[in-house]
Amino acid sequence: MGMSSVSTGSDAMKLCVFDLRRGQNEGQELDKILFFYPADLPFSTQLSVIGLSEGLITFTRIFSPEVACEVIEAEMHSHVFYEAEPDIWMVMVVEKSKESEAIWRIEALRGVLKEVHSLFVMFHGSIRALLDKEPAGGLIRTHLYYFIMDYLSDFLTVKKLQLPNFRESLKQRGTVQMLTIGREVALEVQSLVKALESSAGSIQCYSLIMYQDLLVSTTLSPDDTVNLFTYAVLRLSPHALSSGVSSWSYLRKGNIAPDVSSGPVLPNSGSALDHNNGSHETSHVGDHRYNAMRPLKHDKWSRGKDGFLVADVWGAEVDRSARTCPAIWLHQTEERMYLCAYQHRNLTLIFLVPVTSIVSEEQGISFMKQQIIENASLKIIKVEEKLSRGWGGENAYHVSGYRYLLVDGDRSTSRATPPGKVTTLTKESLVALSKLREEVDLEKSRVKWDGVGREKDLELCIRAKNNAWVIARLTRGKELFLVLEKANETLLYASDAVEKFSNRYCNGVFSVD
Amino acid sequence: MPSHSKSSSSSSSSFPSDDNGSDQNPSSTSNLNPPSIDQSLDAIENQLASISMFQPDTLLEPGSEPEHESESESESGVNDEIREELVNGSLNKIEELPEKSARVEVVEEEVEEEKLKASSSRVWTNVSEMEEGEVSPSPSSSGYAGERGSSVTSGIEEDVKDDDDDGNDDEIVDGVTDSQAPWTPGKRHGDEDDASISWRKRKKHFFILSHSGKPIYSRYGDEHKLAGFSATLQAIISFVENGGDRVKLVRAGKHQVVFLVKGPIYLVCISCTEEPYESLRGQLELLYGQMILILTKSVNRCFEKNPKFDMTPLLGGTDAVFSSLIHSFSWNPATFLHAYTCLPLAYATRQAAGAILQDVADSGVLFAILMCRHKVICLVGAQKASLHPDDMLLLSNFVVSSESFRTSESFSPICLPRYNPMAFLYAYVHYLDVDTYLILLTTSSDAFYHLKDCRIRIETVLLKSNVLVEVQKSMLEGGMYVEDLSLDSASRPGTVSPQVSQSRLAIDSTERLRDVFHGVGGPAGLWHFMYCSIYLDQYVSSEFSSPFNSLRQQKRLFRAYQKLYASMHEKAIGPHKTQFRRDENYVLLCWVTQDFELYAAFDPLADKALAIKACNRVCQWVKDVENEIFLLGASPFSW
Repeated sequence: MGMSSVSTGSDAMKLCVFDLRRGQNEGQELDKILFFYPADLPFSTQLSVIGLSEGLITFTRIFSPEVACEVIEAEMHSHVFYEAEPDIWMVMVVEKSKESEAIWRIEALRGVLKEVHSLFVMFHGSIRALLDKEPAGGLIRTHLYYFIMDYLSDFLTVKKLQLPNFRESLKQRGTVQMLTIGREVALEVQSLVKALESSAGSIQCYSLIMYQDLLVSTTLSPDDTVNLFTYAVLRLSPHALSSGVSSWSYLRKGNIAPDVSSGPVLPNSGSALDHNNGSHETSHVGDHRYNAMRPLKHDKWSRGKDGFLVADVWGAEVDRSARTCPAIWLHQTEERMYLCAYQHRNLTLIFLVPVTSIVSEEQGISFMKQQIIENASLKIIKVEEKLSRGWGGENAYHVSGYRYLLVDGDRSTSRATPPGKVTTLTKESLVALSKLREEVDLEKSRVKWDGVGREKDLELCIRAKNNAWVIARLTRGKELFLVLEKANETLLYASDAVEKFSNRYCNGVFSVD
Repeated sequence: MPSHSKSSSSSSSSFPSDDNGSDQNPSSTSNLNPPSIDQSLDAIENQLASISMFQPDTLLEPGSEPEHESESESESGVNDEIREELVNGSLNKIEELPEKSARVEVVEEEVEEEKLKASSSRVWTNVSEMEEGEVSPSPSSSGYAGERGSSVTSGIEEDVKDDDDDGNDDEIVDGVTDSQAPWTPGKRHGDEDDASISWRKRKKHFFILSHSGKPIYSRYGDEHKLAGFSATLQAIISFVENGGDRVKLVRAGKHQVVFLVKGPIYLVCISCTEEPYESLRGQLELLYGQMILILTKSVNRCFEKNPKFDMTPLLGGTDAVFSSLIHSFSWNPATFLHAYTCLPLAYATRQAAGAILQDVADSGVLFAILMCRHKVICLVGAQKASLHPDDMLLLSNFVVSSESFRTSESFSPICLPRYNPMAFLYAYVHYLDVDTYLILLTTSSDAFYHLKDCRIRIETVLLKSNVLVEVQKSMLEGGMYVEDLSLDSASRPGTVSPQVSQSRLAIDSTERLRDVFHGVGGPAGLWHFMYCSIYLDQYVSSEFSSPFNSLRQQKRLFRAYQKLYASMHEKAIGPHKTQFRRDENYVLLCWVTQDFELYAAFDPLADKALAIKACNRVCQWVKDVENEIFLLGASPFSW
């Protein structure tokens, strides 16, 4: 089952990427489109989505020059805008319906756009750079097509794409989930990190260590940590590798993604895109001339005998050398790094070495792998054992009586009630929470546009119609969301519950006194 | 206000040019606009138009010179049609309106074309006369502070300035200040258009336009100069409509663009005031209601006959009405609570007023309403007829904002959109003193003399029974003050409470002394509250006192309540039962039950337990004095 067949006959979701600098002249509008899902929509429809988006971007700039259109809410659809790079826009159009599950939080949907773009940039570099590299656009279209389709496949349920809706209100995309470790283990981890670094000799390198789907340690910048962590959970962690095993992390749906078959999936798209620039070969999506690197393709990573993870068909057949060790771009330093991953049971180590520092990839990388095994394998085993011993299982961070989400905006981390426990909440409570979060999103964006630089301090406590308490607390860049069902009706009870939670699990950050 | 002739000529010259693409803009007005803006607007239209695969003909057709003439022909055709409508009475006999704001000396007129034009477009001649002639109405009658019924007399001058800085959304975003004049109804900044930087930076725009893109009303700027902008709004709406959907909201940074489609009438608000979408949409609904109140919904028929029908002449001179309504969106809780408020009065006083109103209501008057500014003194309806709070808001806004009503007794056709949007009623309006006015509504267009008699009877009784004196007193001293609330249940305020009206002055000095020692506000840090009775359709709010001394602070509180209301009445899952909200400005508590809604504002450092206790005390207090602060026995609105 290909992705495109899923969308046929339903307009549940549209996603497009377009470049406002292209297709300026009449008749060349199609040239703007860099990606459109579903690809089999008639061009007139694709262009009308992009035309409306573009019109409103221009219109809103009349009043709001700094921030153009962010969202269009229509009766039946929400259009979510994200300016991924200057003049490069991503727009997602979702259908809404009160009866079904189609109740969305705009910021959660924008989070999806941000995530796929960040991941794309991590592997391919910026969209603009690729456009500059090949102005005809065939290269970027090919990359975007495979990348986004592979990414979307994670949202695919039996019949349709299921984007994050109100049921995921206790999740925060774009954050890292940490494993809490004791002091003793922390020291072990520290020494493991040192051992890893020493394996690279004098070369400046980075490492990221995960236990299952949780972060144990990182030497990367927060942005890069989030991107790499996200990717690891999606494709590298033990859960991700043993596909079919359901994961409890929000990043993985646990369903087996279909294959995005190459080239032929886009019969229309290919030819139509050609239509404008008149060069069949260059713009054909899925053209094998392009190195269709597909880092998000499923089942392409596997664990080798030596414990290192290998990407099976990484990149195109043309460039065989890239197979074993892919490279990524660091957001912070814009450095290109080789990505090595080693896995021992539930422990995943990711190791980044600058491409420039390695003369011969084949030799350099294998030498370093050898070094790692020599220097660190004992430590890896030891740390894995200790972490496994202390690991409380997937409900380790459940707090009985509470359904919560705790976000630390400064550190880009979050912790939440395990998904299995969230499902016990009623739809009403979750919708109420989703709406509350939407209110908080608005308040936060106001503070942002006011540019005062101060962080929002807010306490919001609502007793919903179904008697559940939904609570939001914002203070000093940290956010806490709680749902308390079957709680006492008094406000004081609810406040008390927050206080207790804050004192016990948040070092009293949210405590009033 | 531009005169009718001037406006119509300018409209015919500027319109088609704006319908055109950017490259063909023959109008001289284009000189006024820097090309960049025109281009950006045209670009949007072109973008939308060029891509529209569905019904390109519903988008704006490019006009051309010959079409000019045909259009102006069709305009006169429209006027013919209006006349036809009028003669047939389907617009409920507008022609019977005298030119001078329906003054009593109605002369039965021959329906001549000229006269009809004049009367249909200048129904409210007096209003426009006032605007042109008397720019500054007496502050007591329509000044901002006065309308609030604020008891704070000192520092009003300062506050008014403050109001203009912030209280009016008139402020330009980056603090580019405007004139420091007190708020007056009527159009301001009429010289601006969408090319003006100042216009673009206004915090809150309101537009009414027709489905063909013709401007009908704009809060700021000259409607005719905004034709191009208006066409853009229309293009956006119809583009989404052609895709089988309906655009509701566009958000960009702090800006929201809210759309409301009412048949052939499109309403749009562009705002960066941080008000929730639901509130802005509600304001557009009221704006539409205000238009219906002036014209009835049968105006739709004009659009059915001619989609390019130009409605501006029909609304000529009503700028003050709209601007006053828009102003009330930033101070009058009735605009979002959908309830009205009463002037606090002793039960017996209100009873006395009610009795005489009931008397006239029995003699063929549909509704008899006695009001003081925006507060109801008494309200009586003929059997079974009931008045929606929104209709009362729109009606009283119409009366208060039209200066002509103050100067003479008037009889004018009005429509109550919630009562019957298709038909005109006739309102007899008479001011009994500077703030107090009587509205008698009837279905009969020739009831003027009867209503005049009724008014004389009512006035006589009110004078005799001292009601008007009591009203004046209440205006000065009445209302509930949070400082008067006692948390101690032992000292329950009695029914003849010092909290309400009469004895306020007597205790004033001691109260103020108490303030000195206990800081601002009432007990437990209570600063302000609003209590809305569901069954009565009425609300009461405490008077503003420290720390709400400036209009800026009052408006901030107003907006906070508005947000709280929207949050509590969240459409998908609401209403919620309780809400506690603490930010850097306040602690807000809201409590919604089947019987009432309570909104209370506290010091941000207020103690939760004490705040809850204070809320309970407020509810008890309101119950204790309900026969003084509410109009009891009035039938609530229910269909």
